[in-house]
Amino acid sequence: MPGLVGFYTFGEGRENWDASHFIHYGLSALQGRGQESISLAAIGPEGTLHTLGGKGDVEEFFSNKTSVPKGFLGIGQTSSYTNDHLVHVKAPYELVLALDGKTDLHENRGEASKLFARQLSQLLHSEKEPLKATSMLINKIGGGYSFVALTHKQELISGRNPLGVKPLETGSVGFDIAAVASETCALDVMGVDHTGPVETGEVIMFTPEDIRGNAPAGEAGNFCSYEYVYLARLDSKVNTLPVARVRNSIGRELAKAHSAKADVVVGVPETALPIANGYSQESGLPQEFGFVRTGENVRAALEPAQKERLVGVQLKLNPVKSAVEGKDVVLVDDSVVRGNTLRNTVLNLKRNGAHQVHVRIGSPALVSPCPYGVEIPPRDELISSYLNEKELASHVGADSVSFMTVEELQHAIGLPRQNLCMRCFENGGVTR
Amino acid sequence: MRVMGVGGGAREHAIAWKLSLSDHKPEIFWIAENRNPGIHKICKDNQGELRTGRTTDPKTIVRSARGWGVDMVVVGPEEPGFHGIPDALEKEGIPCIGASQDLSIIERSKADLRRLQWENNLPGKLLFRTFKNAREASDYIRKNIDAQPWLQNIVIKPARQSGGKGVKLIEDRLAYLHDDKASFKEAYFESLQSSMAAYSDIDDKILVEEKAWGPEYSLQCITDGKTVLGTPLVQDNKSAHEFDSGPETGGMGSISGPSMTLPFITSDEYDNSLKIVEGIVEAIQKKTGESYHGMVGGQMMLTENEGPTIIEMYSRLGDPEALNVLAMLKTDIIDIFQAIVERRLSKLKLEFTNEDAVVVKVVAPNGYPEKKDKAKGHPVQVFETNIKRNGCYLFWGSADLQENGEVVTGGSRLSALMAMDHTLPPASARIEKTMSSIQLTDGWGLYHRSDIGSEQLLAKRHNSADRVRRLYKYKEEHGDLGRRLEWVPKVGKVDPSQLLLKEMRGPEKA
Ligand SMILES: Nc1ncnc2c1ncn2[C@@H]1O[C@H](COP(=O)(O)OP(=O)(O)O)[C@@H](O)[C@H]1O
Ligand SMILES: [Mg+2]
Repeated sequence: MPGLVGFYTFGEGRENWDASHFIHYGLSALQGRGQESISLAAIGPEGTLHTLGGKGDVEEFFSNKTSVPKGFLGIGQTSSYTNDHLVHVKAPYELVLALDGKTDLHENRGEASKLFARQLSQLLHSEKEPLKATSMLINKIGGGYSFVALTHKQELISGRNPLGVKPLETGSVGFDIAAVASETCALDVMGVDHTGPVETGEVIMFTPEDIRGNAPAGEAGNFCSYEYVYLARLDSKVNTLPVARVRNSIGRELAKAHSAKADVVVGVPETALPIANGYSQESGLPQEFGFVRTGENVRAALEPAQKERLVGVQLKLNPVKSAVEGKDVVLVDDSVVRGNTLRNTVLNLKRNGAHQVHVRIGSPALVSPCPYGVEIPPRDELISSYLNEKELASHVGADSVSFMTVEELQHAIGLPRQNLCMRCFENGGVTR
Repeated sequence: MRVMGVGGGAREHAIAWKLSLSDHKPEIFWIAENRNPGIHKICKDNQGELRTGRTTDPKTIVRSARGWGVDMVVVGPEEPGFHGIPDALEKEGIPCIGASQDLSIIERSKADLRRLQWENNLPGKLLFRTFKNAREASDYIRKNIDAQPWLQNIVIKPARQSGGKGVKLIEDRLAYLHDDKASFKEAYFESLQSSMAAYSDIDDKILVEEKAWGPEYSLQCITDGKTVLGTPLVQDNKSAHEFDSGPETGGMGSISGPSMTLPFITSDEYDNSLKIVEGIVEAIQKKTGESYHGMVGGQMMLTENEGPTIIEMYSRLGDPEALNVLAMLKTDIIDIFQAIVERRLSKLKLEFTNEDAVVVKVVAPNGYPEKKDKAKGHPVQVFETNIKRNGCYLFWGSADLQENGEVVTGGSRLSALMAMDHTLPPASARIEKTMSSIQLTDGWGLYHRSDIGSEQLLAKRHNSADRVRRLYKYKEEHGDLGRRLEWVPKVGKVDPSQLLLKEMRGPEKA
């Protein structure tokens, strides 16, 4: 899943801004959305679109000062897919496109984005009113996606299809700078004030003459609930809800419905810490710092190779012995994918002297892959497609395991059921 | 009675409208650079005439005033004041509502205004420095940025009003973007230097001031030199696009009411703002020895260091802010003008409605403000019955009535729609419903800000006011309002105000 940034400037002296510097920091803030590949496009006063793609490391990518595209407008993308780069369409209307999610134009996500970019280019070439045309395009092409595009005419087009499953936020600072990004944390880090989300079905177009928007769909959309559970950064707002507040109420909700007799609450870093915190506040059990992470902050569930993870987790999450020794522990995590991370973690706690370990998961069991491109592995790799809570507990060596229900999660997020996408938690459930 | 107006924008249209409603039934004459369709009609309906001419040329104005034999002139925009129009008229014995050339320095030179505030130790000021050229400005900032941290977050302005040169707001809070911000500042200094080179009569070309944050509002006042009367607070919106993004404009729309203050400004803050404006009027009269009779206004902001603070002064009514106060005004406008001319404002009962809130939204052609040439010359169509049916009022701005009766855009803000209601959001909604009543017939686009007067934007203003108020109240409670103290490693305690005053006094004589 990619993280997107678009950077736009206005006014006299705009050519003095170097978009790549801002996008650099914006993308750093979005690394949680993926760091397998990265790319950048910029346009300068001479009107040429420069692009560059590279391997995931933001710092390394931007350290190469001579090859990074320069210009006063730009877009960038950091992605959890390998070799996932901006789509560059040269004709009939030259543009580069970054897209989060998936259009339904093709089975393959990358191909689907390319086809979308080509249609956009065609439209911008043939239609007199680019805004209206783009708005029609996102209403016509299904799937779930948000995008940012930069054209050779110095236009920056951003949009979110009516389903609204993928986030996109706007911001501005002073009279000179406006920006869009997948998450508000990227705006903060670029020093840009958040002005609000791109609404579902909304297209916002920045041109040298103005900023134009179509009328949004006016419907609340179908927001990705996994953004709140896991994907988005803690300091972001998603669809105007602060992620930190949602994770806290997930923890509280979890404590109410899935209590456990224990001495301490321990969260799995980093995402589950605020959930554990909510659990502790609601249950009255003290929260302890149960683990210290070694090495770079790589999100275990998103790593490609399974073997690597088996070794990796033990290395990365080192238990704090004194916090758990001789105690019954509530272990809080955000979600369970293949189950091996959890298994290692539980084992590790017990090896370090924890007595009972009760696993509490701040989301329902993941049972289906995401149709909109979030890397949830195929069904046959999702442990909850095969094992129920009791079976899972004995598989991972825990004294109990329990997941939130879909209703509890919805209640914790606080949005109506029809406005939340929960497809990954549905379809079939436990198969045996 | 014959009255003549000067200026051709929406503000002047609104003044003409109020004149046409006066019980004194004045004959209305006008001079403007454009043939404003609204003013044209009012003049025609009131036994007068609109003539086009250079509004900054004293000869043209005096000749017309004489020719028409008018009893009084009211000047709308600032430029005629800067060029001494009121002075020329009064020399001929024609009473004029408008600040004289010398008095209007409070608007013409933002640097002189800051100096006036600091010399007189008036409240509501901001730290500033002026520079002769770009090099001096860049060097000063580079040298002092550590010892005077306010220099990180600054606003760069031309020291004197200068051919459309805008202001730049540059926050340099993120260490990793420091080089970008610093080089942008320096590039803009260069650009200001070259555009200001023409003014050889003044030393200071570049003004740098402390960047504040907080809600902005305008307090427009009427004065006869002895009394300063406040009107309802108005908030204008300067950014071209929704939720305060995009380039700076002359103002995209404004809100006021339903009382003398705005929903997010307290009445104490109103009173303090009025005192600040009074202080400036008094100080500039003392400095010039002239009497101020006309409009004066503070474009203000609540700031964490000072509370109510002057961003800039108006030597006239604001555009579009004038529309709000004129709509709320209950007193006969001719009575006000006569009281100013006869210096008896203290006796005047100035009344405003306290039942209605007012929303004004400006309609501008695409291309404004950055590509005005593209925004110019498009034919306009207006559905007046529709506007009336929705209870809205239309005021023409940068529009030109052609010989053939067609109206074309002038490239700047085309017009403003106004509506009144018990609170702001319904007034805003009525204007939204009416927007399609103004169109360009050649397919060129128009835009406006739908967020002005909305619940959402009001909530944002409340939020910003609450945050900044908590900060300045804290200072006030600790006796530190208006004080800025820094502790800088290796330097110790620094009071940037003292440094500023010392530099203003110049090098000490040995
Ligand atoms: N010191 C300041 N701190 C924060 N914002 C400022 C400051 N000075 C100006 N601004 C912003 O810039 C806008 C324009 O500045 P102003 O001094 O009114 O110049 P002008 O209207 O002549 O362009 C203000 O309305 C305000 O939004
Ligand atoms: Mg101003």
